[in-house]
Amino acid sequence: MDEKVVSASTPSPAPSAFTPYLDALHSIHRPITNPIANTYSRFEKWKEGFGLYQPGTVENLTREIKQTHLTNFLFDGARADLTKGLSLSPAFQVTHSFSLASATQPPSYNFGAVFADNNTLLQGGVDHTGSVTARANQSWGANDTTKMQAQLSGQPGHSMIQIEHDHAGPHYSLNLRTINPSPTDLTGIHMVSLLHSVSPRLALGFETLIQHPQPQILETSTSYLAKLTSLPAPGSAVPVSSPTSLGLNSLNQWIATLQLQPQGIIQSTYYQKLSPSVDVGLDLQILNTPASPMGPGKREATATLGAKYEFRMATFRGQVDSQGKVGMLLEQRFTPAFAFLVGGEIDHLKGTSKIGMGVMIESSSMTPEEMQAQAQAAGMAPM
Amino acid sequence: MFSDETKDKINAAVGVGKTVAVYGWIPFILYVGYSRSSPQPSLIKLISPLA
Repeated sequence: MDEKVVSASTPSPAPSAFTPYLDALHSIHRPITNPIANTYSRFEKWKEGFGLYQPGTVENLTREIKQTHLTNFLFDGARADLTKGLSLSPAFQVTHSFSLASATQPPSYNFGAVFADNNTLLQGGVDHTGSVTARANQSWGANDTTKMQAQLSGQPGHSMIQIEHDHAGPHYSLNLRTINPSPTDLTGIHMVSLLHSVSPRLALGFETLIQHPQPQILETSTSYLAKLTSLPAPGSAVPVSSPTSLGLNSLNQWIATLQLQPQGIIQSTYYQKLSPSVDVGLDLQILNTPASPMGPGKREATATLGAKYEFRMATFRGQVDSQGKVGMLLEQRFTPAFAFLVGGEIDHLKGTSKIGMGVMIESSSMTPEEMQAQAQAAGMAPM
Repeated sequence: MFSDETKDKINAAVGVGKTVAVYGWIPFILYVGYSRSSPQPSLIKLISPLA
């Protein structure tokens, strides 16, 4: 790349007064930069030869399993979400959500607004107590995204802000993140994570957490990550440039991940797509802390097995774990604009249970003609 | 690296910024979305859950 720039600048059409100086500069820096550029390009080519792939971000390491498992979707009590789409491109919608009769949380009302175009995402929510959640993502091209997340409330000490930057290289993902940074003395929680593909199937990475709560205190802890995927589908002959690690349409794709965290926590997950509409995920968490002056050692393990079935108008999630919990959630869509949710979980060891019911109603402020016109405009000139 | 006076000023500015964000973030999104969407929705539909 460096060589290209040099060769493009040297054959100037009319030799100017600066030409001798430029030539001299060129001859001076060429013996130094050329070997470096050569070595770098050879190193890159050598890496290409392994058939490496873009492993995805560290944050999304266990995304498939989180989508399969019930844990992040189950709710308690009754709730209603009224979503109103106000524009398709750029996307703009507002949501009113109501929740009540939950055993663990007081009744709440939340108003949310989302605006998204190709490079920017703005999202905000405010609940009846007046605390605001904010999220903004800005992408600076295909490989770089800066994200901001904040939770702001009137009371002091309850606010949180997190700023992060994601960089996706051809074979690696780098993420820098800081939580509650203080501009005056640089305290806060900072995180660096890197996931690099080392073979066509294996990616290794680390995540370092730097806790810096006061100027005198600085603690770091590092977790190690590994992700093993099934071989890329035969159709995708170019695993290097494919943005996601797997074309998840193809059958029998599996992903296994392992995370070794400090304090003796080991988390391993296994995800497999059994058929186009059935996903299965297994999660095993092991906590093994040795006995120390702080207290006796602990050895615990939890295994969670979950499955997700996607039907034409419904999604069903079921889950069972080794602590005796059995749960399910059904999301039934009666029309494209109306969905009904019912879910529950029974804890057989503790003898407790919870049940949740909800409705999701989507409406659009546009008349059918307007929607059609907009869909046509979007189809003709894809922004 | 900063004097105490500068630190106080920075902290005060952060506090003001936080207050602005708490009260301004949602109106900001609504304004951006309202002004850029086509066709422009009516204001009552923007706020009311029933309209």
